[in-house]
Amino acid sequence: MKNSIWFLGCVFLTILSSCIGDDVIDDAVEPIVRIENLIDSIQVGTDYQFEASFLNNVGKPESVPLSWSSSDSDVVSITDDGTASALNPGSVIITVFAQTSASTFEESFDLNVGASTTTVVQPTSRSGVIRTTSSYDLTGDFTIEEVDGSLVVNIAENYRASTALPGLYVYLTNNPNTIAGALEIGAVEVFEGAHAYSLASVGLNDYNHILYYCKPFNVKVGDGEIQ
Amino acid sequence: MKKYRYISLLLILFISTSSLMGGGGWPQPKGKGYLKLSEWWVISDQHYTDSGLIDPNVTTGIFNTSIYAEYGFTNRLTGVLYFPFYSRTFSNNIVSGTTGEVITPGEAISGLGDTDLSLKYGITKPGSGLAIAVTATLGLPFGNSSGGTLGNLQLGDGEFNQMITADAGTGWQVGSIPFFANASLGYNNRTKEFSDEIRYGLELGANLFNNKLWVIGRLTGVESRRNGATAATANATSIFANNAEFTSIGAEIAYNIGENWGVSASATGAVRGELIFASPSYSFGVFSKF
Repeated sequence: MKNSIWFLGCVFLTILSSCIGDDVIDDAVEPIVRIENLIDSIQVGTDYQFEASFLNNVGKPESVPLSWSSSDSDVVSITDDGTASALNPGSVIITVFAQTSASTFEESFDLNVGASTTTVVQPTSRSGVIRTTSSYDLTGDFTIEEVDGSLVVNIAENYRASTALPGLYVYLTNNPNTIAGALEIGAVEVFEGAHAYSLASVGLNDYNHILYYCKPFNVKVGDGEIQ
Repeated sequence: MKKYRYISLLLILFISTSSLMGGGGWPQPKGKGYLKLSEWWVISDQHYTDSGLIDPNVTTGIFNTSIYAEYGFTNRLTGVLYFPFYSRTFSNNIVSGTTGEVITPGEAISGLGDTDLSLKYGITKPGSGLAIAVTATLGLPFGNSSGGTLGNLQLGDGEFNQMITADAGTGWQVGSIPFFANASLGYNNRTKEFSDEIRYGLELGANLFNNKLWVIGRLTGVESRRNGATAATANATSIFANNAEFTSIGAEIAYNIGENWGVSASATGAVRGELIFASPSYSFGVFSKF
């Protein structure tokens, strides 16, 4: 009897050594169409090749059929692959459509036809505010800018992060709900005050959020939208 | 005096059910001992943060299959071993609710856990109404403290610690029901930049059904001295994070099936904490006295 109990006990203990399960997270974001090379105006009689990309409902680039349209094809005609031809002076609205199996997404912008082609002046920097999405202290302003071919993320003097949290990492991402598809900048080593990260081969408009994530707990700690 | 001796004997026989508080203020008699095979586990998808609030985390589980043993070298000096000979920890897969893809694969490791080796010395004479004992414990870091791809799966904290604990216990009888109470206070000196800890505990137990069943209520706690490194410099989480604190309450039942053996089960949950899982832990064990 006693041996049986010990045996059953051992079996019970073995069974208790549990298996790996699944934690499902809500990582959905609004899909967007992003125009990569905006211009403000185009010279009569010239062509311009527009480029666009589609970020899906988890913020990842996805290859989907794109199509383009002009609000007035007498002023600007545009092909399905985004080649615009300036025919007459005037103003039009250019729209790019991304067709997925579930829906169609679009993005529009104004285009003037004039004496010269003008690239829209992109801001030289973007900025945002870091906020906590957890119970851990995390706050501060930040800017990003391109310097000598690298993207520099400047965290402001008012930045503060909890030192109580193990394994805090910082990312750039198009989906603030997950680190999937995010660019890992590195482990957070500064928890108060100004500091900067320099990232090679990253464009100013490649990402739209900064994300703070605790790797050991596998949980988001905070984020900031890049405006 | 006779009554105290009887109750003390009962307590020695039955109180040794917790690895945290050991046999309380009662050392084992010379040549006598206690052996327990048990499984302790906690599975949690949330934790207490540094502000005492509760945040989510990936579901993580820790299982310790252990041997707990006490042996009386003399009537006052008892050797105590807590040896988790098979520990296992795992973290779940993180799966996209949108695409169903696994974003971060779950992992598991197993092996030895951190082991405690103790000597308990009875300050008071065996059979005294108030039993006082001091215990010196060496925490041996046998457990892997940096397993898994990220090094954050742990079977131990990786540091060698030394702890001194004082226990004071007493027993009494109400009608035919024996009761006991035990209080403990300990100081845990930790290495490798882990903060030292103050540990405390209170136990209240009653023996029911003709010495067959012990019912024990327990309050335990850990307070960090915060004299070590911050948690930010380590990957430690779960029950091994630096500067972790908690106050927990728990209950345990120990049922004596035979004359010298029985089974026990317990459940314990933190009512407050910092950097510690916010889910109850459980244990089940088979014990034997010899």
